[in-house]
Amino acid sequence: MTKIKTQTISPQNENILIRLKRVESQFGYIPEESITEVAQSLDLPVSEIYGVATFYSFLATKPLGRNVIWVCQNLPCHLKHAEITIDNLERTLGIKPGETTSDNKFSLELTNCIGACDYAPAMLINRDLHGNLTPNKISQILKLYK
Amino acid sequence: MAEVKVTINGAQTSGREGVTILELAQENGIKIPTLCYLTELSPTGACRICIVEVEGSRTLVGSCHTPITPGMIIQTHSPKVLATRKVIIELLFASHCGFCMLCNKANVCNLRELAADLDVGLSPFQTRKRFYPIEDNPYIQIDRTQCILCRKCVRACREIAENGILGIAYRSFDTKIVIDNDQPLAQDTCRDCDICISVCPTGCLSKPKKLSAAKTGKPLIIC
Ligand code: FES
Ligand code: FES
Repeated sequence: MTKIKTQTISPQNENILIRLKRVESQFGYIPEESITEVAQSLDLPVSEIYGVATFYSFLATKPLGRNVIWVCQNLPCHLKHAEITIDNLERTLGIKPGETTSDNKFSLELTNCIGACDYAPAMLINRDLHGNLTPNKISQILKLYK
Repeated sequence: MAEVKVTINGAQTSGREGVTILELAQENGIKIPTLCYLTELSPTGACRICIVEVEGSRTLVGSCHTPITPGMIIQTHSPKVLATRKVIIELLFASHCGFCMLCNKANVCNLRELAADLDVGLSPFQTRKRFYPIEDNPYIQIDRTQCILCRKCVRACREIAENGILGIAYRSFDTKIVIDNDQPLAQDTCRDCDICISVCPTGCLSKPKKLSAAKTGKPLIIC
């Protein structure tokens, strides 16, 4: 008999991500009220659901712009100077990570490894992968998005 | 229930099936340091300070959440274990701000006590520090700059107090203890159950001390 207590490891926890994803696809992000609703429906504390929602880069807890840029900030990309990419995007768009441009065109987000280390430094815009980024390339890429 | 035979620090001993290495060590009078473990709470293995060497295991294992298995050969204080524990404390100190000398809870702080035991001085790892404003209400003061993310308060709030107010949110360097969905600490967020304060291993959670606010009547003037 193992003595691992199960209060925080229950089968309900498996449903959290599925439910949060569903909420996100409905509203485009996860509103505060939905976090409370999900918590109530699973009989879990709000803080637990909020913790899960904020942990994942691909779950948004605030409204995003029409196009979302996720720049990878993990080690391989970091070693290939991801900060230049981030800096460049910040200056071109005039926003910081976590923010959205005033015309609602772009949101800038940071993410963990997106599995494109061989193209480092890499970023995702919506579902498109862009790698081997250079400042020149970035301004070309941004033009592709309306 | 089946008895499991193991060797711990060279001595043969046995324990009930399912007990953790830590529990067995305690039964045998061996003291393994812990920061995130508490008998009453579910184990999370967050702090890693309780690591021990198990023969045949590729890595050091967390003793607070690893059950004993037949024939295990365990070393709780080998040079490798001690050196690793020291680095763990140094890493915890890397982003921990504040000086023990100025901390109200220094005398009851498990982190400071362990640092002294393991001979840890200034951390050789220098990184950004976590700065957060101190929050308080009449019942509790939260100083997140001292937090080592052991999650004891979160579990105590859920499992003992059965409130679930405290949680842990965000990721990597931004990870912090939050109230519900990151609400500011309000007057009525917490009542005076004090359970989280009593389990906090550092100076993060404490009773608020308001020296001047409690003053009533005329000021005392001594000539
Ligand atoms: S680290 Fe950037 S894609 Fe893997
Ligand atoms: S006490 Fe075992 S990991 Fe913290």
